Order: sequence, then C-alpha cells, then structure tokens
Amino acid sequence: MSPTERLVINRLRERPVDGPAVDRFLARWGSPIIEGERATFLYRGHVDQAWIRHRVVGLPDPLEMKRVGDTDLWAVTTVLPEGSRVEYQVETRQGEQYHRFNDPLNPRLAHSPLGSSSVCAAIGYRVPDWVVPDPEARPGTLVEEVVRSRALRRDQPVQIYLPARFNRATNYPLLVVHDGTDYLQFAAMKTVLDNLIHRLDVDPLVAVFVPPKDRLKEYPNHAPHARFVARELVPLLNERLPLVDTPEARCLMGSSFGGVASLSTAVRYPGFFGSLLLQSASLVFTDIGFEHGGGPAFDPVVKFVNAFRARPRQVVDRIFMSCGVYEPLITPNRSMVPVLRHAGMRVHYVEARDGHNWENWRDRLGDGLSWLFPGPQKFVYE
Amino acid sequence: MTTILLGPQRFTTTVGATVRSLDLDGPIAVINSGWEERESDDGELSAILDGRARNLRLYHRMLDVLTKDDHFAAAALDFRDRQDELRAFYGIRLQSAVDAVHEVTHRTSIHGIGPLAVDAAIAAVRDVDGWYAGQLAELYRSVTDVAPPLASPTIGWHRGEIGAILDDCVAVAVAGGNVRTLLRTLRVFDLTLPADKPVVAWSAGAMAMTERVVLFHDFAPQGVTAAELHDTGLGRVPGVIALPHAKRRLRLDDREQMRTLARRFPGDRLTLLDDGAIVRFPDGSGELPAGARTIDDDGYVRVVGAA
Repeated sequence: MSPTERLVINRLRERPVDGPAVDRFLARWGSPIIEGERATFLYRGHVDQAWIRHRVVGLPDPLEMKRVGDTDLWAVTTVLPEGSRVEYQVETRQGEQYHRFNDPLNPRLAHSPLGSSSVCAAIGYRVPDWVVPDPEARPGTLVEEVVRSRALRRDQPVQIYLPARFNRATNYPLLVVHDGTDYLQFAAMKTVLDNLIHRLDVDPLVAVFVPPKDRLKEYPNHAPHARFVARELVPLLNERLPLVDTPEARCLMGSSFGGVASLSTAVRYPGFFGSLLLQSASLVFTDIGFEHGGGPAFDPVVKFVNAFRARPRQVVDRIFMSCGVYEPLITPNRSMVPVLRHAGMRVHYVEARDGHNWENWRDRLGDGLSWLFPGPQKFVYE
Repeated sequence: MTTILLGPQRFTTTVGATVRSLDLDGPIAVINSGWEERESDDGELSAILDGRARNLRLYHRMLDVLTKDDHFAAAALDFRDRQDELRAFYGIRLQSAVDAVHEVTHRTSIHGIGPLAVDAAIAAVRDVDGWYAGQLAELYRSVTDVAPPLASPTIGWHRGEIGAILDDCVAVAVAGGNVRTLLRTLRVFDLTLPADKPVVAWSAGAMAMTERVVLFHDFAPQGVTAAELHDTGLGRVPGVIALPHAKRRLRLDDREQMRTLARRFPGDRLTLLDDGAIVRFPDGSGELPAGARTIDDDGYVRVVGAA
C-alpha cells in the first residue's frame, strides 16, 4: 500500500459515523481488513475497553483497540508482513468484567487441543491445496490398535496409517508421530499423507500415530517413553508390517514437546532412527544458570537440551526442522541448527511467518515429508 | 524397423495421426503397463487408435506371475530390494560427484587448471554412472541365474499369449507412465518388439525404446536432483537418450547444468520430447531426423538440420 493511500478505517474515522454507517462498513470490509502489509482488527460492542490478544513475538500483547467516533465499533491496526498467518482472540472489559472470545466478525477459525482461535491471514498466505481432501487421491487407511507396553506399564493406543494400494510385497518406511491424535485432528495429517503420496511428492509410507497419556511427563526426555518407542513399538510394527528394517527408513516426528520427545528418544537410541521431523520443538536451554523462564514443566527439557548442547553428537542422519518466526521458540530453534549440524547431522531448517500452532505445523508437512521421504516423481513421465 | 518417438500425449495428441500415417491395416498392440493399476482404463487410447488397440496387459500379467509363481516372485522382490539399495548408494555418490562439477566450474582459475578440473570432475560422474550400470548388470545376471524368467511356466504361458497378439498386430504403441514399472514388465516377459513392425512410443514409452534410460526432474521438490541413470531399455533406438517433458522438467536455460548432462553421456544424443514432438527413425535408421531438438555438449538446445 502506498503512503498516499489511507487505510479504510482512517477514512471512516474522518467522517461522521453512525450505526448504519458502521453496518455498511462491516458489511463491505468484514474483519480483519488486510491492506498491503497492514491488518485492521475490528470489534463491535458496548464495552469499556477492547483488545486483540495474540502470541506474536514482536508485537505488543495485548493490542489495544480504539473506539471509532462515538460508535460501538472498536479498531486497531498493526503491521502484518506478507505471508503471515496469526491466531488471535478479542478481549473486552465492561466494568470489572473481562471476557475473551473468538472474533465474532471473523468466521475463520483454527482449532487445537486447547480450543479454537480466530485466524488472520495476511496478503500472500495461502492454505496449501494438499491439506484438503482431493477426490482423485486414493485414501489410505487408519487402523486402531492397542499396544501393551511394559516400559510404560500400560496399554498404549495407536493408529496406524497404511497408504493407498498398501501391498505386503512392498516394504515401506516408518514414520512415528508424537501427539498422533492431534496431528490427525488438527493438522489433517491423514489427508496430507493421502495427497502428498498421490502427487508423488512423498513415497508411500506407514505412519504410526501415538498419543501421550501424561504429555508433560512422557515427552521431555523420559526413558520409559523412549524405550517404548524404540524397543517395543518399532519392533512390533516390524513384525506385523512390511517395513524397511533400516535406520534410514525410520523417522520420529513431533511438535513442541513432541519435538523434544523425538530428539530425546533418538539421543537415547543413537543410530536406531535415521531422521527426525521437528516442528517448533521446545528446545529451550540456558547458557548460564538454570533460569529459563518456562516454568517447572520445562525443567527436564532444559536439563536435556543443556546436556545435549554441552556434548552434541550425531544421533540420526537427517533432521527437518521448522519453526514460526512469531513464536517464542524461534530463538532456541535457530540456535540449535548449527549445534545439530556441527554434530554431523544434515539439517533442513525452514521458518514461516506463523506461530506455535497446528496449522503452521500442518502447512510445513509438505516440505518436511517430501524432504525426508522423496516421492517417485522422477519415475513418472505421462 | 521403424520407430517413432512422440512427445507427451496428454495435451497435444499426435499418436492417432502418427499411427494412421503408417498406412497399415490391422490391430495395434498397446503396451501401457506404465499406467500400473490403471492399465485397463485404456478406452480413450483405444478410441484414438480408431478402436484397433489390442492391449498386451503386461502389468496385470506381471501381477499374475507374482501371485502364481512363488519362486520367481521371491527372486523379483529380492532384486527390487537390492536395486533400491543400489540406487540409494548411487544417488549419494552421484549427487556428490555432480556437486563437485558445479564447484570446480565456479572456482576461479588463474593458471589454467580449471578446465582440466572440470573435465576430471565430469569423468568422475561418468565413473559413478559406470559403476551403477555395472552393478545393475551384475544384479540382473544374478537374478536371472536364480530365477530365469523363461523357466517359469506361468511366464511361459503369458509369453505365448503376448506373442500371439503381437503376431496378429501390424504395429505397437507404447504409452508413458511409470518408467520403472514399464521396464519391469518388459523384462519379466523378456519382450522384444518385432523388428518388422513399426513402434510408436511416447513419454516413458519412448524412454523404454532407447538403450539408456535416464531419470531427470530439476523441479522435483526433494531427493537426488541430478539426472540419474536408471536402467537399460529395449535399445530399438540406439545412441539416443529420450527426455520427455523436457521444458517442464529440465532447467534448459541453465547452460552449465545442461552441459554437464550432455557431457556425462558423450556417445548419446539427448533428445527433447516435448508436447507435439515427432521424431521418426525409419527402417532402422539411427539418425535423428531434421527438426529433432537436442542438448549439445555446449549446453545449448539445437534443432537438427537448422542452419
């Protein structure tokens, strides 16, 4: 947007505004309004104050909204670079009552295990077309199983993805997915696999989706969890399914604490897995002391990452890492890339103008999976 | 022995007119095993061939063999796994060798060492290609020793049927698709296309008619980016490397990359088969006809016969 063009919200502020004018404005522009690299958030209601709440590192949180004239319309404008995608909510105060909710003027929502948020997509952001079901893509199947785990001392439910045209005469690579149920539910991972395999971007593979029971205990460098994955789950799958039984064909993946679970499992069983797919991994560390600011849940994480940084070693061949530039974990992730590379691992690192959320992780699956499991495009000449 | 290589048929369909131009009456044998499980969806192709198509159904026949002949199936699966492993090692060695060509090409040379280094780097790539080809040939020898296709009654039965269909046909059409699958089906049945019958082949089918099948895709999202020697084809068109979809799959304007590709295969003519391309080799001629487009040793695309 050129400097001479004024934001539509400013043009509205410059003239007398009444209720019908606000109605017309909202009907025409909706919310949020994207103009070049500016996003204007709107809220309409008889409240005393209104804010936009978000977790974008670098922007003030909350973003305080200002009333437009004497109306019940509130607005705030912020910079939003091309390609960005942010999740947010509206917060209001009426007297002593505070309320926080999704933007009633914006139908676009993102979902996570913690609930939903409104989504603001900047100019240039597009939902990848491989995240929606493609009628031409043959679907794989999900098989539910329960694995008795001595390591975890419990039954562990898993869901096993078998690609379309699954054939016992073919051997498949194996992908172990931490937070498996969430990846299926919030990152559309079955659809993503179906589509990427159909497009020949990704080799047909078997994926096992593993949900945690006590995530904060099991994921940050937990010996029983690692033993379950490496010594119980993978051998069991090798027995039952036609898998390529080599480290190169085994990959661990996870986001956030699931990323820590992936790396720490690989560290406990070096050379057993060939690759990792880490998304916004919670690789928090300290360079001196132990004040990490993440609360008690991060204590074992920091202990593990500090120890790894003190003595880095090659535990897999290849790592795909992604992180959102708007999340607090961007700095630890950037810092870990050279550490992992110097340890001898090949790292493909990707950043996105997005946050710590499932749609960010979904959108990066194309890059990650096709790098780790390149599809057979080179063989096909129609 | 007339062979005609065509460009992709999806958007510019020339196969019907090309077959009609042969002025032959009778059925046309069709090989479309590269379409894999869609092999039987050949209605559109059959219509283009004026209803004269006789599908050899090589893919379905291969599945039948793998189902009925346990000994052959075990050997075939073992071969596949060994070839996959060989390809993985080849890919690592090849990519390093091709990257080295790029690096020495861009290194400043004050004392004239640069061109010598480039020659040596390309020779190293050829060495890697040669190693792969040698290992692959050895693999074929060992699998043939263990499970000779001609010793399989099931394969023998199918070969009888295939031969009978070919005898009845006046020409053969070979479609594109997955070139690995297409070549496998040709090998399982040890298929040699009759020299006296014209063959019209496109895309992966055209690749299968050559001696050396080279895989390439400069725009693939990941994996080994260098063009890879894959296998030997039927060798009906010697000295030609077929490059279907060249505009879509090759960085033709990257002279350095094209030069490296051309110099890797010095005895072959890298022939571009884009939409609408028709390259005729009449009566066993190995000469590229006027109008064919090739990548020359200097990395430029040239048109045969152009001034």
